This record gives sequence, C-alpha cells and structure tokens, in this order.
Amino acid sequence: MADAATADAAPPPSAMGSTARKRKLKRGKSQKSNKKRKPISMASKKPKKPSQKMLKLFRKRARDYHSDEEEDLDETGDKKILEESSGEEEEAHEDSDDSGHDDEFSGSSDDEGDGAQQGITKFTEGCRAFRTAFRKIMKKHLSNDPLGPILSANKKLVAEKLAEEVEEQKVKGEAKKEKRLAGEKGHVMPANFLDAKEKFLISVATKGVVKLFNAVNKAQNPQKGLNPSRAKDAKELAKRRKQAFLSEIQKPSTQSYDNTSKLNSSKFSIPTNKEDNEESGWAPLRDTYMLTSSKLKDWDKMADPASVDEPESRHMDSSSDED
Amino acid sequence: MARFRNKRGRAPAKSPGMKKPPGVNQVTGEKVPKSIVFGRGKLPGHLKQLEHDLRKLMLPHTALKLKEKKRNNLKDFLNIAGPMGVTHFLILSNPKSIPHLRVARTPQGPTLTFEVCEYALAADVARSQAHPRCPQGLFQNSPLIVLSGFGNGAKHLKLTTIMFQNIFPAIDINTVKLSSCQRIVLLNYNSETKLIDFRHYSIRLQPVGVSRRIRKFVQNHQVPNLRNLKDVSDFVTKAGYGSESEADEEAATVNLVSDLSRVNRASTKSAVKLQEIGPRMTLRLVKVEEGLCSGSVIFSEYGKEAIAEEAQGASDEETED
Repeated sequence: MADAATADAAPPPSAMGSTARKRKLKRGKSQKSNKKRKPISMASKKPKKPSQKMLKLFRKRARDYHSDEEEDLDETGDKKILEESSGEEEEAHEDSDDSGHDDEFSGSSDDEGDGAQQGITKFTEGCRAFRTAFRKIMKKHLSNDPLGPILSANKKLVAEKLAEEVEEQKVKGEAKKEKRLAGEKGHVMPANFLDAKEKFLISVATKGVVKLFNAVNKAQNPQKGLNPSRAKDAKELAKRRKQAFLSEIQKPSTQSYDNTSKLNSSKFSIPTNKEDNEESGWAPLRDTYMLTSSKLKDWDKMADPASVDEPESRHMDSSSDED
Repeated sequence: MARFRNKRGRAPAKSPGMKKPPGVNQVTGEKVPKSIVFGRGKLPGHLKQLEHDLRKLMLPHTALKLKEKKRNNLKDFLNIAGPMGVTHFLILSNPKSIPHLRVARTPQGPTLTFEVCEYALAADVARSQAHPRCPQGLFQNSPLIVLSGFGNGAKHLKLTTIMFQNIFPAIDINTVKLSSCQRIVLLNYNSETKLIDFRHYSIRLQPVGVSRRIRKFVQNHQVPNLRNLKDVSDFVTKAGYGSESEADEEAATVNLVSDLSRVNRASTKSAVKLQEIGPRMTLRLVKVEEGLCSGSVIFSEYGKEAIAEEAQGASDEETED
C-alpha cells in the first residue's frame, strides 16, 4: 500500500513535469549530441564515457520518456503505468548493476516487448513488416496502364481529368494551327523546275538586260579610249554627247522623243539654240512652234500630263514599250 | 522613334551618295532614291522574313537593319525620312491575315496598295534551286528594273510604272559600268488576270561558243577529271551535250564594251543568264491613294462603292497608327 501511496503521489508530478522533462530530455539529447560531436574535435581531453551519475540520469529520463509514450497510448491506465514504472525501475537497477551496458535501446526494446504482449507490434517487427510490404509493392508487376499506379478510388477521377486535358489541348492545338495557317496565307513554295510562266518571265527580263547592255555598248563604244575623269577627255565626251543628242532630236520620226529622253535626262537643260528650218523633228525646235498649234493657246488651263510623263521617260529602264 | 541600329554601319552605305556613283545624275546632282522597308501591325514570321528579303532587294540605298518597334507609327518613319533622305516607303502589313504591300512616296504620297496574292521567300527560292548563286558583290549595287506589260494607258498602271522606276536610281548609259549591273527586278503585268509578277534575278554573263568543260575549267581553276578520256585533246574537242537553253542563248547574247571579268572579255560574245534570287511575289494593285497612306482614293480595284468603304477603313487604320 505504501508503494501504491507513493506511486499515487508520484504520478502527478510526473504528469505535470512531463512536458518540462521532455524539454529537458531534448536538452539532454542535444547535450549528448554535442558531446558526441566534441570528441571529434578534441579527442583526448574529455572522457568518452559519461559518468555514472549522468548515466543514471539518462536512464531515468529514458524511462520517463517511455512511460510518457505509454500514457499517450493508453491514458486511462494509471495502474499499468505504475506497474510498468516499477518494473522499469527494477530493470533500471539491473542495468545500473551491469555498468558497462549503458544502452537505452535494450531497455526500450524490452519495454516494447512488454507492449507487444499487450497488442502493440514490436519496432523491429514493424520494420520487417513494413519492409515486406514495401517490397511486395515494389515487386508488383505493373500493367501498361497509361494512368500509372494509382489508387483505384481515384482512377475514374484521374481519367476524367486527363480526358478533359486532352480536349483542352486539342482545342488549343487547333487554334494554334489555324493561326499558323492564317499567317502562312499566300506563302507558296516555288517548284524545283522552271515552268512555262517562269521561263517567260526570265525571257522578258533577259530581253530587258540585253536591251540595256546593247544600248550601253552603243553609247560607250565610241568613247572607249577616253577616261571620263580626265578633264580633256570629259570635255570631248560632253561634246560628243551633245552632238548625239541633237542629232537624235532632229530625227524626223516621232519615236525620237522617247529615245533621246531615255538617253540622258540631263540634256533637257541644254538650250536648243541651233536654228533649223526643217519642218521635221521635235516640235519645239521648229520656228513655227507655238505659233501654229492652236492646242497650246490655253496651255495654262490644260491638265499637266507632261509632268507625269517626264519622270517616266527619264529612265533608261526598258519599260512599258516592251510589251 | 524608329532607330537605325548601327549608325556606324550605315555610314559607308551613305558615302557613295556623296561621291556621286554612276547612278546619280551627274549634271543635276539628282538625289539617289532611298527607301525603307518596314511592317505595320503584327506580322507572322514568314512576312517578317519577306520584309528582310525586300530590304535586301532594295540594297544598297536602304536601311537593312532598321529596328522598328511596336509603338512606332507612320509619323515616326516620316520624321526620320526627311533628314535621312528617304524617298520611298515599302510597308508590309497583314490586315485580316491577307498580306499587303504598300509602296509610298514620301512625304506627299501617292501610295499604291498591293495585295500580295502569293509570295515565296528568297530562302524558298534558293532551296528550290540545285545551285543557288550569291556572288560577293551581288548586293553592292542597286538592281535594274524592268517593267513589262504596263503600257495599255490606264492611269493607275502609269503611276505604278513611275513609282517603281523611281524607286531605284536612274542609269546613265554613257557612264554606267556593266559590272555594276548584277541584279534585275522584273515587274510583269498580266492584263488578263490583273496580276503583277514580281521577280528578282541575278545577272550572269557567260562567254558564248566555248564548251562547258573549258568554261568550267577556266572559271574554277581546278584540275579536271580526265579519267574517261583517251587523249588530252578529247577534253577540248569533245563538245559534250548542249543545254536545252542553247536556242535561247542566240537572242540573249551581248557584245561587251570592256572586259567585265577574266572570262567575259570585250572581244568575245557573252550570253546573259538570269538566275532567280527571290523574293518572288504576285501582286494585285488594290488601291491608289493620293497622300501617304491617306488622302483621296484615286483608284480602287473593287469599284466605286468600295472606295468609300476603304476610305473609312483607311481612316481606321490611321487611328490605329
């Protein structure tokens, strides 16, 4: 009874101080870890083994810790705790007797063995069970399910979600494709061969080039030996050009206007001071120009197609007359 | 503001303008037409590429690396056009995902709006060829332009002709060097379909009357493979098979004034060969406006009722800009 009385008296402080003890325990553990760490740095200075007193304290704390656990598991069983605590005390005494054996785990494992007898699986046993279960799962041959290993309850849900995603992707992809097609509108890949149309176009372009080259040849052939950068030669060239221009102007054909103007636009600035009594040639060169033509009387009222014509004719690009 | 990415890189492109190259009218000192190519609105990747190809086509008097930003509007480009001496705008846009090309003269207009019915990029054209050609100095001089089929007297066609002729510097045939004529732009108007074929070729000259083998030998400087021949003289005497275009060559031969290259001498006849370099476009003239992307509509492809509608659309576009 006295034991029971002391035990009755004992639990409250243990219950009260359980949290405090836990804290202490933690601190103790940290100390321990510190101790464990320290020897690495200063190996010889401090003794590796904790003193007897400390060992006892540890053991006590361990006991308390386990007792707490069991309180958590089974809160109502005060008596059980009593018994166990007493048993533990006995064990602790035994442990303290064989001093070298300071392992807490042996005590704890024994303790749990007691628990197992009361329907709680041993730690080692649980570990093994877990291992076997895990292995079983890992060894399991998976069928080629696109969803992968999932719990069967979720299977339907996941499938639905995936299907939805696929739908979304499809819509998105279609939109993207449409956009790309819209961007590519009008873009065509040329054929590897030259079809009739291309050949025709090339021939047109070739004609133009040949025309230009021949014109250049015609224009530049007489000035072959002359260097335009030398002043003397430049003068000679200008003279020739002027002559060519004037002779072109006075050609009787109506076509001459086009030709000369194509030759060089700069020559328009040259004053046409040469008197010519011939009735042929360019109209402004005639004496009777402006006098006979009734058309030019109201020149200021006419629309100016000439201003449009002028820049066109300036160019020596084989142009509209090609067709 | 639209910025030129490397101003330093642009300097040499500008300098020939100062030096008066043969393209410039030497008496009047006429301005070299310069152009910038840019896009309005969001362009898909292919059109961006087309934009770059067009810039390359417009070389050398263009901004190859023009950096445009989303917030740049037409006014910004117009603002830089003045000091930079830019005379033409080529504007690519993609309204209702139909690619459009607008060619405008700055700062007053007019603006020609083309619908790009079909297009192929320079890369596509190069891919379609067995031996795409790009010699080094290809883009150093501005291309020649050949306009064909525009001569039926319609006013809008005349305007198109003028516009495209003025986009490249004029050539003075008394001073031009044939070696600078390396490229040609062809615009061919088909009066039946009302479509304009836009092509870009490189010009190559080949000596005529020389067998292919010898020509290759002279050009490449490589030891020919004589394994199949019994005698060295066979290499010269065996003509090989004539190409299919041999008949066309007769019409396409020119006499050169001066030596153009090591192979093409003044004394020999040369054949003109064109090879496409792209881009390739099929255009339809849709609209002609008086101003720069604004103003009254002079011509509209879709009749008069469309004019009012399009005018409204244009004003919308302006507000967008």
